[in-house]
Amino acid sequence: MTETSKADDNPCRPRHFKPLLCAPAPMSGPGRTALEICHTRLLVTGALFIVAFLTIGAQLIDVMELRSPDKATARNHAGEHALPGRADIVDRHGVLLATTLVMPSLYANPKQILDKERVAAELAQIFPELSAAKLAESFNRPNLSFVWIKHDLTPRQQMAVNALGEHALQFLNEDRRVYPKGNLFAHVVGFVDSDGKGMAGIEAGLDKRLKTDPTPVRLSADARVQFILRNEILHQMTAFGAKRGFGLVMNVRSGEVLALASLPDFDPNDLTAASTDQLYNHATFGVYEMGSVFKIFNTAMLLSSGLANLSTKFDATNPIKIGRFTIHDDHPQRRWLSVAEVFQYSSNIGSAKEAVTAGVPRQEDFLGKLGLLNTPHFELPEVAAPHIPSPWHEINLMTVAFGHGISVSLLQMATAVSAVVNGGLLYRPTLIARASEPQGERVLTPAISDEMRRLLRLVVTSGTGKFAAAPGYLVGGKTGTAEEVQNKGYARKQLLSSFVGVFPINDPKYVIIISIDQPHGTHASYGYATAGWVAAPGVSRIIERMAPLVGIHPIDEDAPDIRRALMIETPVPEGRKLAAE
Amino acid sequence: MADGRFFFGGRMHLTVPEKLLRLNWGLVLLIALVGGIGLAMLYSAANGSWQPWAGKQSIRLGVAACIMIAVALVDIRVWLRLAYPVYALMLVLLVGVGMRGAVGMGAQRWIDLGVIQLQPSELMKVALVLALARYFHALDLERIGRPWRLIVPAAMVLIPAGLVLKQPDLGTALMLVLGGAAMFFLGGVRWWMFVFVGAAGGGAVPLIWRHLRDYQRARILSFLNPESDPLGAGYHGLQSKIAIGSGGEFGKGFMAGTQAHLNFLPEKQTDFVFTMFAEEFGLLGGVTLLVIYLLIFVYGFAIAFSSRNNFGRLLALGITTNFALYVVINMAMVMGLIPIVGVPLPLVSYGGTAMLTIMLGFGLLMSVYIHRDARIGRHGEEE
Repeated sequence: MTETSKADDNPCRPRHFKPLLCAPAPMSGPGRTALEICHTRLLVTGALFIVAFLTIGAQLIDVMELRSPDKATARNHAGEHALPGRADIVDRHGVLLATTLVMPSLYANPKQILDKERVAAELAQIFPELSAAKLAESFNRPNLSFVWIKHDLTPRQQMAVNALGEHALQFLNEDRRVYPKGNLFAHVVGFVDSDGKGMAGIEAGLDKRLKTDPTPVRLSADARVQFILRNEILHQMTAFGAKRGFGLVMNVRSGEVLALASLPDFDPNDLTAASTDQLYNHATFGVYEMGSVFKIFNTAMLLSSGLANLSTKFDATNPIKIGRFTIHDDHPQRRWLSVAEVFQYSSNIGSAKEAVTAGVPRQEDFLGKLGLLNTPHFELPEVAAPHIPSPWHEINLMTVAFGHGISVSLLQMATAVSAVVNGGLLYRPTLIARASEPQGERVLTPAISDEMRRLLRLVVTSGTGKFAAAPGYLVGGKTGTAEEVQNKGYARKQLLSSFVGVFPINDPKYVIIISIDQPHGTHASYGYATAGWVAAPGVSRIIERMAPLVGIHPIDEDAPDIRRALMIETPVPEGRKLAAE
Repeated sequence: MADGRFFFGGRMHLTVPEKLLRLNWGLVLLIALVGGIGLAMLYSAANGSWQPWAGKQSIRLGVAACIMIAVALVDIRVWLRLAYPVYALMLVLLVGVGMRGAVGMGAQRWIDLGVIQLQPSELMKVALVLALARYFHALDLERIGRPWRLIVPAAMVLIPAGLVLKQPDLGTALMLVLGGAAMFFLGGVRWWMFVFVGAAGGGAVPLIWRHLRDYQRARILSFLNPESDPLGAGYHGLQSKIAIGSGGEFGKGFMAGTQAHLNFLPEKQTDFVFTMFAEEFGLLGGVTLLVIYLLIFVYGFAIAFSSRNNFGRLLALGITTNFALYVVINMAMVMGLIPIVGVPLPLVSYGGTAMLTIMLGFGLLMSVYIHRDARIGRHGEEE
């Protein structure tokens, strides 16, 4: 019993376990030593682990407190944009259009790989798109110490590569620009090159801003409207087997571009597949002879000159021959037409005569004021200078009247049409959401702007643009079918069919322009490929779809006050041939 | 004194209710607490869903808890007698998966039992502790002093460690060797032996190095120094440190961690679960969990102290050491103190076999406690 009590008096033994004294004493000499050794070592082991626990606790405090997220670690906090990387691009409602992610890329030093075939096979298993044979071949090339294997790995793929435990496989983290909306904003947002330098679109136009200021760039564009625009252009292109289609939607009272599309487009996330034509922004960088939509400016110019009013008549009985050219009408009325009728029936002959009445200086001056003769200032670098007549002869005066012999971009068209319908104020076009009311520049009197709105409405109610009507939304607009220049002449079969739509025309909010390039007539369109058949229906559907989204309610188009606001003095019936009164 | 003796130590066989009374309920509570934290984290890892992890794990936890109690109630002497057979069975299974792995493609570490995919390498941790405890139990100090007596236990450690290393599963192999070494130390092997083995091992490194194949060298190099490439192999460590660091003092709140939920952290439900925990519950949560683990560890040591027989003491120490190794290696790994090896966080990480292994271990630990007064002879006979 003495031995027992001695054993139990061991100071190492916690008090709690003291009652266990009752256990029989096992010890004779050596046994006791064993127990003592055991207890010593037990304490040593215990102490070691306590130290380990304390070290971990200290490290925990170190990691969590001393290296708090607002310090060094935050730089790697890719999820929260503490990264001093390129700023995001968002639409007017904050929808993410471009962002930067840190992604690892995988490379190898083939000299350090011993079993090249095995590593190649293992990599091909992780990346099914890579071929084991090709990888092995690249590993086996002599004197090569660096091979890119795959860019932009997902964390899962990276883990799988790590799990291979292959020393020669290494990662390099790279900033990768990601465009969540893919094709949708291809020509608006643009893309960056592999060094992160903006190459196209907003990425290029605001490159410096995106690099230096990490707050997101908020565009004026609306992803929903953009989707509708692109979708309808694509629909019309498919329906008429067209080669290209492009268009834009602009707020007529601020110059803000809500949507801008040029098809075919590309996926900025994968540029390798993109062709030159796809990369070309036809809506801002392409300049085209717009055809009859230009009559909007011709008419506005004539009315502004004070030389005529809506009921002034011009002789459109016969085609005009000038030099080797003949000016025809597509919808010949073969009579004298009032200014309103010239516009309504889109008479080339009448328009040419109107222009002659005004003269070259007035025409040049007016188009210049609308910004149609200069390269527009815009956030996209892809803006082209218009092709304008030089020198500006009488023949140019006549053709420009109906949109030939002058090439402008859709962006310029939308900007100028906005000024014509909004009461006469020209706003600089922009893709950036405006923070405040912009200052417009007066280019037209409100009275003439009002007359122009009536004329545009007339085209849709009883002219060439009937298919643009969208019940309840009071669409006004103008068709334009241009024959494209080919080998110094015009090709009758190659058309650019455009429609400029404005709604609601009694109090314009938005202008929509779409152009369908090289459409082909179909059975449903009775073989026509002209603007009234090809572009106008597209604009109608765009308006029907976007109006509820931008908060425009349908109204009763036959309400008396609306009718009065859009009424046009019906010209005196035919037969009375009056020259300028 | 006599009463105590009459009640507990005096009789060699206790009834089941008596055993249940003697069960270490404080330890059970701590285990349940950590298990609950684990379930909560798996629930959070799946963005607030019982699928795919938390539901399964809760069933496993329940079953494993029952197994733990059952193991605890079995007499310690039965475990002593079963020690070698269990070890042999695990060795056979380990060889079995090794061969199947060699036949099949790549590494295979588990046996599919339908209900659970059993990883023999995990269970080997417990079997090894059992076998070593039995071996050292039978040796007195004098015999332990003879080096040739250590050949058998050394083989008992190195054979499974080698097999596991071949799978390749460095983390488990490391734990087997470290756990084995701890058993040697606690079993009373002379200090100088450790010095000798350490020196011999160090001396042999260049020799072994020369005989290694180049890709094996590369693996060892990248294991020893993954920080040489912080962007590649160091990805895990970096991301996990960021996650822990972003938790701050009180964390971002349950299911509100960004690093883990945004998938910056691969395998957040297994080895890296602590990072998510620390992100969501902050320093306070991290320290609390650490303290709970520490308490379990202290309990284990106290049980070892309380054991009157050498086998029970060694067994308890082996189990506790193993448990502590799990915790220390896992936490040190996610906090970037040591290179990354695949060791789960006990009772929290998702995984069936690890859970089973740990709960079996706790079962044995409690068995030691319940039968702490049993006297056992060299070969398991009652004295």
